[in-house]
Parts: sequence; C-alpha cells; structure tokens
Amino acid sequence: MTPEERELRRALDSRSEGVSPEFRARLSSALAEGRPTSNFLPALAAVAAVLLVLATVGVLLLARQARNQPPPLSASTPSASPTATPPSSQVAGVLSQPYIALPTDAQLSAPSTDVIWVLMQDEYLFRSIDQGAHWEQRPTLPLFHGGVQTLEMSFVNDQEGWMTVGGPTPATPATAACAGYRINLWHTTDAGTTWQLLPATGIALSRCKDGLSFVDSNRGFLDAWDQQSAPIIYRTLDGGETWTASSALPDPPSFKTHTNSTIQPGVVRGYGSMLLVPATGQAFSGNEFQDVYRSTDGGATWAFVTAPSAYGQIALVTASRWIQLLAPSSARETTNAGASWHQYPTDYTQAAPIAPQVVFADSMVGYATVRGSIARTLDGGLHWSWTAVKSPGT
Amino acid sequence: MIGDPLAEERLRRARAGDAFAFGELLAPVLDSGFRLAMTMLKDRNAAEDAVQEAALKSWRKLDRFRYGADLRPWFLAIVANECRTVRRSRWWQVIRTDEVEPHDHLTGLEGGWANSIDLNAALDRLPKHHLLTLTLYYHLDLPIEEVARVLGCSTGAARQRIHRALAALRPGMVLEVGR
Repeated sequence: MTPEERELRRALDSRSEGVSPEFRARLSSALAEGRPTSNFLPALAAVAAVLLVLATVGVLLLARQARNQPPPLSASTPSASPTATPPSSQVAGVLSQPYIALPTDAQLSAPSTDVIWVLMQDEYLFRSIDQGAHWEQRPTLPLFHGGVQTLEMSFVNDQEGWMTVGGPTPATPATAACAGYRINLWHTTDAGTTWQLLPATGIALSRCKDGLSFVDSNRGFLDAWDQQSAPIIYRTLDGGETWTASSALPDPPSFKTHTNSTIQPGVVRGYGSMLLVPATGQAFSGNEFQDVYRSTDGGATWAFVTAPSAYGQIALVTASRWIQLLAPSSARETTNAGASWHQYPTDYTQAAPIAPQVVFADSMVGYATVRGSIARTLDGGLHWSWTAVKSPGT
Repeated sequence: MIGDPLAEERLRRARAGDAFAFGELLAPVLDSGFRLAMTMLKDRNAAEDAVQEAALKSWRKLDRFRYGADLRPWFLAIVANECRTVRRSRWWQVIRTDEVEPHDHLTGLEGGWANSIDLNAALDRLPKHHLLTLTLYYHLDLPIEEVARVLGCSTGAARQRIHRALAALRPGMVLEVGR
C-alpha cells in the first residue's frame, strides 16, 4: 500500500462511523411496523406484458415488411435527442391484486377538486373522484424494471395522464452523475386501460430526470439536473411528443452553483400563462434551502422569485398563496407570491422524519403523503386529517 | 449468501413478511450500508434516514432479488441511490439562507492535493459518483467485482471509474487498482 493510498483510506475512514445500537433498535422497530407480503403477481404480469409488447411490435413489423412500407418516422428520422427512440407501441394496462403494507411509497397527482390519483409502492395505480373517500384501482403500466428504475406519474383529469419510467443506462461511461439517464414516456387517455409509448424526442441522455408534471393535455414539464451545474426544465407543447430544454435556472441570491452545490427543481404548477416551480438547494456547506422560480414565457426561461429564510417544504396553493411546512404544527405563509412571509397556524404534523409530498388540487383541497399515508385538508392547509383518507390498497 | 441454506431460508421467510428474518438477513450488510451513507452524506442523521429508507425499500423489492445472489452489492446499490436523493428528503431543518455562503472552493481543488493538502476538503468537493466509487473500493474494501455490481457496470469499467475518481481527486495520482 502506497503512502497516498494509506492517506486516502485514512481520510475516507475519518468521514465514516459505524451503526449505533440506537439506530439498530429504531430500524428494527421500523421493520416490525412494515410487513410487505410476498407478491409474485406483478412479476408475472410484467412478463406477460413484455410478451404482449414483443408480440404486438413483431406483428406490426411483419405487417410493414409485407406491405413493403418504410419504418415509422420515429425510428428513421434523426432527432435532436441522442435517446434511441423505441418503436411507437401501445400496451394494455395491468390490473394486479395489490399487496400493500404501510409504511411504503405513494405519489400523488391531484388534477381537480374531486379527482386524485395515487401510485402506491411504484406498482399500483388508484383513482378517486370524491377527494379520496373511495378508491378505484386502475390498470397501470406493466413494464416495471425494479432496481434503480424510477416511475413518476402526472394526470390532468380523471382519464388522461402520463407516466415516466427512467433510469441510468449501464453502458454509458460515468463521466458525470446520471450521464446516461434514459426516460420512457407513456400516455393514457382511458384511465390506464391502455398506454401509448411516446417518442419524447429532444430529451438528452445527460442529467438525472424527475419532476414530471402536465398542467393540461398539451403542456408538460420534466426536470433535468445533476451535481455539477444549474438545472434545466424540459417542456412539451404537444402532449409529450417533442420536448425542448429551458435555459438554466439562475442561481438565487447568495448562492453560486458548484459541483455538489446545486439546485434541484420540484414539480411545475400552472396558473394560466404563469408557471411556478419550487426548488431545493444545497450549499457546499451542506445547508439546504427552498426557493421558488417563475416563468411567464411558457417555461423557456425561469426567474428566481423568493427563498424563505427557513428550510421546509413549500406547497403552492394558488398563484400567489404558498405555505411552507417547517416543523410539527409550525408553518409560514405568503399571500403575495413570496414578497413577504408570516407565521401560519396549521395543525399539520407527521411522525416520519422524511419530507412529505404536498399537492393542492385547488385553493382549498390539498393532500400530503409520507411513507404511503395520506392526509387531506379542505380549508387551504389550516387543518389536516390523516384519517379522512385511507391509503388505497391497504 | 451463495450456497448458504440458512440465508436462503431467511430470504424465503423475509419475502413472506417475516420482519425478524429480514433483520437477520440485513444484519451482516447493515454496517457497510451505513458506512457508505456516512461517507457520502457526512451527517449521522441523514445517513440513518437514508439507510432506513433503503432497508424498507429493499424489503419491499425483495421479490426482485434472486436466490443465490449476493445481498451486499444489491443493498449497497439501493443505499447509494437513497444517498443521491436524500438531500431532498428531509422534512424540516431550520437554517437561515443568509447562512448559506458562496464558496470559491475550486481554488483548493486546482491547487491540488499534492500541495498538501486537506484531503478531506478535496473529498468534499469530489462529485458524488466519484466519492461513491472510492468509498466502495478504498473504504469498504469491496473486491472489484462487487464494486462493479454496485455500480452496475463491468469490472473493466469499474477500474476505469476508480482511476477517473482518483484523477478527479488529484490529477496525476496513480494507485494500483485491480484486486
């Protein structure tokens, strides 16, 4: 071992510590609370769906060859995107028996006052048309890959939505974080009964991607970020067929983007022609902060709006009213789009230490989820109930 | 785990929802996972959150883990993924933004480790994917085959990534890589 290697090992050792007995005990408790049940049905469903896709594509290709027609544009026309465009295909959604135990993961999409969609455990899709009082399981995308693949969904009503399946491509050299991060974008207009794979041209492989959001049937957004540079936000005006990158989000005051010290945007919300997106920043010192950006040109450029002085989730309620959940039963509110913030007497609290996802369907109805549990507010965030909405499938 | 009937029995029970069996399965790799998270995040609370989330996720995804495979690289890959996202996952943390100071820390990096050198600061500045690679190889002492499995690449590519990480840490640094 060379002196340099010894020094490197010593430096890495000094950053590290072993597991404490207290943490082992806490972890045991957390595991005892959550008891996932064995479930082979999704795997079987996925295999069946893959076979269905292969069969469908095979039949289509054979039919094209028989008619001596050229391949579809999506496969033959060079595009701005280095992402290989898979053949356009449609698959039937899969409706499998849910095996869900809390704590787990849930993603929310609340397109209107009464409609809410939940993707439980990255596998099971549910829809409610009465603010979460009753749930109906809907067929979902069958092509789950597990591991580092991530799923995100966004719906604009009780029928139409999009889902991304994304993850790093192993063959790409790791010259940067998420150097080869491929996204497949799927679209449904029948509440998940069928899913159409969109070409989604224009999205580069570089950078991590998340934060899928559609504000209507045509306009959608997807964040792209890494640990070296300022983020961009892709936008589509044709329902996800083609995408264009925004200019980089500007640094907020008193912050400079560096390696490991960058901004990560959240989910874009639309209020007429104005778009807003909250973002999380982490300074080189490790300190985190939240801020908000605004676009008035359809997402081509973004301008910094505000960075509250305390760290906590910012939930966009309306175009000008936002609340920031800071600590148990403590929050701040702005009613003038961040020009000033004041204390807000919410009763929101949660047991889990991780951040909730908070979405508002309108100025009064909002939802929060953490580890699969769902809370609802009907008065704009003042009062929250963790019992009014039962997590679907549990 | 390969060829270990006891571990395979625990895996079977854990898949059926036995928390104790999953805890036993996880115990031998928990320390490696936590050390990886600590090195990546440099914060005990954040590392504990990341490892707890990774443990819960790995239990939920246990159906996707195949019998006979080694649990450690699989779990470490999930921990590494959690560390990548944990910065957005803390619920609350009261910090004033005027405490967020801009850093011209590239100066130190350009000056190089050779000028001797706050190696710790250099590790702080290192992009996270390079830090992950160095931690797996030089701190957790994983064999190169296991580093490759965590990173999801070939052993050749894993060696290349270690060299790249060392070069990013200190240009010109050459260490032998290749167990």
